[in-house]
Amino acid sequence: MKITDILTERVVRTNLGGKNKEEVLNAVIDLAATSEKVLDKEKVRTAIFEREKIMSTGVGSGFAIPHGKTEAVSDIVGAFAVTAEPIDYQSLDEQPVRIIFLLVGRDNMVGPHIKLLSRISRLMNKDDFRKKLLEAPSPAAVMEIFRQEEASYFEA
Amino acid sequence: MSLEYVLLVGSILILVSIAIAKLFDNLGVPTLLLFLGVGMLAGSEGPGGIYFDDAGLAQSIGIIALVFILFAGGLDTSWREVKPVFLQAASLATVGVLLTALAVGLFVHVVLGVSLLVGLLLGAVVSSTDAAAVFSVLRSKDVSLRGRTKPLLELESGSNDPMAVFLTVGIIHLLTTPGSTWISIATLFVIQMGLGAVLGLGLGNAMVFVLNRLKLAYDGIYSVFSMACAVLIYGTAVTIGGSGFLAVYVAGLVAGNSDFIQKRSLLRFFDGLAWLSQIAMFVALGLLVFPSRLATVMGAGLLVSGFLMFVARPASVFFTLLPAKLHWNEKAFVSWVGLRGAVPIILATFPLLAGLPDAEVIFNLVFFIVLTSALLQGWSIPFVARWLRVDAPLEQKRRYPIEFAPMEGVDTELVDLIIPYHSEAAGKSIIELGMPRDSLIVLISRGNDFIVPSGGTILREGDAILVLVNKDNLPAVREIIGKQKKSGAL
Repeated sequence: MKITDILTERVVRTNLGGKNKEEVLNAVIDLAATSEKVLDKEKVRTAIFEREKIMSTGVGSGFAIPHGKTEAVSDIVGAFAVTAEPIDYQSLDEQPVRIIFLLVGRDNMVGPHIKLLSRISRLMNKDDFRKKLLEAPSPAAVMEIFRQEEASYFEA
Repeated sequence: MSLEYVLLVGSILILVSIAIAKLFDNLGVPTLLLFLGVGMLAGSEGPGGIYFDDAGLAQSIGIIALVFILFAGGLDTSWREVKPVFLQAASLATVGVLLTALAVGLFVHVVLGVSLLVGLLLGAVVSSTDAAAVFSVLRSKDVSLRGRTKPLLELESGSNDPMAVFLTVGIIHLLTTPGSTWISIATLFVIQMGLGAVLGLGLGNAMVFVLNRLKLAYDGIYSVFSMACAVLIYGTAVTIGGSGFLAVYVAGLVAGNSDFIQKRSLLRFFDGLAWLSQIAMFVALGLLVFPSRLATVMGAGLLVSGFLMFVARPASVFFTLLPAKLHWNEKAFVSWVGLRGAVPIILATFPLLAGLPDAEVIFNLVFFIVLTSALLQGWSIPFVARWLRVDAPLEQKRRYPIEFAPMEGVDTELVDLIIPYHSEAAGKSIIELGMPRDSLIVLISRGNDFIVPSGGTILREGDAILVLVNKDNLPAVREIIGKQKKSGAL
């Protein structure tokens, strides 16, 4: 499964509002919940916040990858946002976060879920890639950046 | 025959078919053979003793079933996968089918001494490969193919039935209507295929458009809606003179590759419907045949069947794919997956219903050819794939190694963590981390790979890991994984 398989323009925002971690997390969950694959938004919310309690998903360099598993989705669901303001996310490197990738997987599909997690986190560890995303003017531009990156990744 | 009797017998046949399919699950027998077998055993010459010789009814069941099988097959075909092989598949589905029909026709004419047209009729009837059979064999767990042969074979088998239907109907027309010419048949061909493709495209898109704007109150109605749409598309195409099978397959392809509401549940619904169609169709066709009459055509059947498998199909595949950049063993494999299935048998009922003199012989011959093809080719495909080295390691289809399951009475859970950027843990081997007792890194996902770690495995930034850990040890693990390199972050 590819990143461009789970993202559509509908679940991408380039100027997400919200002042703190809780607000932006709720905003990206609302974004993901526009997908008909989300069967119960509240259960998704619980799963995401529970996972955040175990260890912050702010993995550093201004990027966070909130994720969780639940039965309340019919398939892996994603959402992507660049926030308008830098957010204090209790990241491990204590830097504020601007790029957020939300990933919600099904309880019984661990393999694809963690495969996507590692692929996304690896991708976001590239400085120039994050810069491109921060400067993307629109959701369409964001999608194009992912498409290009994945095209080169899968040809290699 | 009372309604109760029909319902009772029908449901028993379906349940028996499912039971048999389950029973033979591990033996790799193509399911169509099993279902045909159930029909034959249930028939008047088997223990079932049901007398059934209504070719018209069997044909109707077959056509309805094909509509759903083709629609479901289209829905389930990824355009992205088949796009690169589109031209190759399209030429196999047209030129390839025509060449197969011609070759078999000439062979039958020369060897069995029937008239050329009757020979060609037989050739046309067996000229297409079977979508249901090919799909079920290629998607079974025994085969995994490398490269483009899988999408090519799926697209070919899904789209070559219209050509065979057309050839059969065209030749019957020539046989029964004095004064008709090859030219008029060729014109008819262009009209049928053109209309079929255009209608499939248009109506498939229209269906998706309407689905997304319907806002139905009950989820279940979406299934009913799309089922009616599939039948409507077939009916419309046939009524105005296009190829209904092509239209319904193209419409399925269009819909399957668009986004629409309830897609997942609809895919599941049509998957079930396609299975029901397969069972009903093969059982009905199995009932229709009288096995004792098959014996009388055995010699001729083996001859024609062998010629089809070993000469006609390979020759037409290699000729049609001459410009294609495929390795010879891929072409050989494509030749071998020329599985015949329900379509030839359904088409063989056409001459029966048209009242042609040789119809009975043609039907039995065709049935025999399908049986041998399904048996020999269907069964041997996994071995041939390995032999021709077009198979991929089966591991790729394996389930992922670990599934979460809550453990009763154990205070340990499996959590997924990500090695943060600039983490001190990155670059270290697991043994150097000093993980707390009773906690264990069980799986590392890195890029496309899963790694089952040992003590010497080195972690990298951005790795996703599965850790078995109890609540007491969690803070320690968090500390080990989360600690930043001193110079790293800034």
